[in-house]
Amino acid sequence: MLTRIRLTLKQHRFETIAVTVVCVGLTVAALIEAYRLNSLNVPLSCLQSYQGGYMGPSQGPVTAAQAHCNELAKSFNDMRGSLDMNLVQLLLLFAPILAGIVVGAPLVAREIEQGTAPLSWALSGSRRRWLLGKVLAGVFLLAPLMLVVGLAANVLEGALNPGLNPYASFSNYLGRGVPDVFWALAAFAGTFALGTVLGRTMPAVVLALVVCFFVRATWDAGMTHFVLRQFAVQQVQQDQQQQQGYVVYGPGGPGNADMYVYYKSFIDGKEVTDAEVNAWYNQNMVCVPMLTPSASTSPGDSGSSGASSSPGAPATPDKQGSTMGDNGVACQGPNIDPSHMPQPVQYVIPGSWYWQTIALESGLLLLGSLFCGAIAFVWVDRRRPY
Amino acid sequence: MALGGGASTGTAALAAHGLSKRFKKKIALDKVDLSIPAGSVTALVGPNGAGKTTLIRVCMAFERPNAGGVEVDGVDPWKHRSEALRRVGYVPQTPAVYRGLSVEDHLSMARSLHSGFDSDYARRRLDQLGIPLDQRADTLSGGQAAQLGLAMALGTRAKVLLLDEPLANLDPLARREFIQVLLDAVKSDGSTALLSSHIVTDVEDACDRLAILGAGKVRLDCPLEEARQTHRLTEADSPPPGATAIGSFLGKGGKNIMTLWRLAPGDAAGEALETASLEDVVLGYLAAGRGTGLQLN
Repeated sequence: MLTRIRLTLKQHRFETIAVTVVCVGLTVAALIEAYRLNSLNVPLSCLQSYQGGYMGPSQGPVTAAQAHCNELAKSFNDMRGSLDMNLVQLLLLFAPILAGIVVGAPLVAREIEQGTAPLSWALSGSRRRWLLGKVLAGVFLLAPLMLVVGLAANVLEGALNPGLNPYASFSNYLGRGVPDVFWALAAFAGTFALGTVLGRTMPAVVLALVVCFFVRATWDAGMTHFVLRQFAVQQVQQDQQQQQGYVVYGPGGPGNADMYVYYKSFIDGKEVTDAEVNAWYNQNMVCVPMLTPSASTSPGDSGSSGASSSPGAPATPDKQGSTMGDNGVACQGPNIDPSHMPQPVQYVIPGSWYWQTIALESGLLLLGSLFCGAIAFVWVDRRRPY
Repeated sequence: MALGGGASTGTAALAAHGLSKRFKKKIALDKVDLSIPAGSVTALVGPNGAGKTTLIRVCMAFERPNAGGVEVDGVDPWKHRSEALRRVGYVPQTPAVYRGLSVEDHLSMARSLHSGFDSDYARRRLDQLGIPLDQRADTLSGGQAAQLGLAMALGTRAKVLLLDEPLANLDPLARREFIQVLLDAVKSDGSTALLSSHIVTDVEDACDRLAILGAGKVRLDCPLEEARQTHRLTEADSPPPGATAIGSFLGKGGKNIMTLWRLAPGDAAGEALETASLEDVVLGYLAAGRGTGLQLN
């Protein structure tokens, strides 16, 4: 079997070398970017007080220390938003899928295209054993490479969000760490299954790109809607700012640790629908457009996957009975006791459940991979070798 | 119905019974009955599209028959594929080699895929031909690539060798070399070979049996010598007495219509005529199969 694995990698040396070089390069790039961010040594307090230039509720004169703090935070945010940083993050997001497709597509399809399948199939009594050798070669190539890339992505995520433990946070959790391995394996299995069925490399690549990106784009929504919903628990009020009425954004915000799944609204302890909440506001509040802190775009919210500060989260009323929406509209009601206002309650997967969630989602990806693999193993036994 | 008397003699290394294979509306094999005796080297001859490749592919379990079946050394390849393939060495139509892999890698791969693969045997054969084991297979000449394919097939030490037009792309020297290696191996191993070709002269010296396939049907299946001895070629208007006309085709030079005759047993007058060449026998049966009575030589 080892001989077959070695020869498979040698046979597909272009793909093997290309994927290895890209993965190693990406790992190095991610580590360099993380080092650049860490080397700024920005205190967490600076980042928390600096939200896109807004200095928080304090309106006093800016001290030299605060100015320095702002300068550091600005440098940090500029680096976070730089082109190279975004490019590395983008590549880290898609590398597992692309690597899986590149390695998987020619695995069987090229044998059929180049007419070598009859040679091997005539020698091997069992086509499934033949395919197993090739599949193992792909797995042995992709798994360690993607683990390295995923770990580097974790380091970068930690650098991008100082104070955040990447192993206890759902910030961008599907684009880093262990899930990278399973994304790559799923893309690999799906693509070699397509290659086996179609018998052509390029059509398999194109179709795999469409299918994989569709699955990747809908995965978060599908998982939160169908799977994670039943495990979600009520979020604990843990952040001082949140209690003061600010939705927590940005680096170090504990809101990034939990994964927002859904919310419920209550009025006087009774669960109500969104329509009822709107009706309540229409009846009791006057809303005017205002320039407010919450209207500013957060530099820290870099598309984190289902973090509790997600756009789906409801507006939160403060103690003065005002509430602010995402579109910069502030509402003020006359002398209403905040305890009688609609109270949104968020249901989240706590960051402390990171490994359990990773295991669940990785397991689902692995199941998908095994399903695709099973199709290929059944199909290869029945198809013509040309 | 195929003509010939040698099919039922000896143990059949390869046998087809009422074998039919259809690709949509095209009939590739039409109720083929064929029996290749063990230890023989049989030429499977026919024009392009006659069904030679399909027959071999069915034997390799690459194609599923629509009706009937085949047995390779007594094993149905479609029902017991791994068992059947252990008994078969296969050389595909075009010498397919793995680009980027060396000759030695090919042998290593064959050994990893086939438990009984004899690498030393294959290596010795390639050594004798001066093919470097460390050379990349995609840089081999056509003849060398064909020899590599043959060495891989022979290395399996299979009882039955199926060779699907392996000579088609080779120059005359490479063809001769290929056939010589094949014959040596068959002689030393006592295996059976089915060598398909659409060029009669390629197989004339190598084979001891002839099976002619035309339009999906077996036209003739008999020992080569019997094919020569029992057929005569004359101009259409001068038949040997008691002989059966097989088919007419345009003779060499394109001047006369020639007819192939099959002699009746004990036809002394017919036997006095000059024997037909193997090419004439094949042309006569193929012309009969087409039904036009005319076949360009």
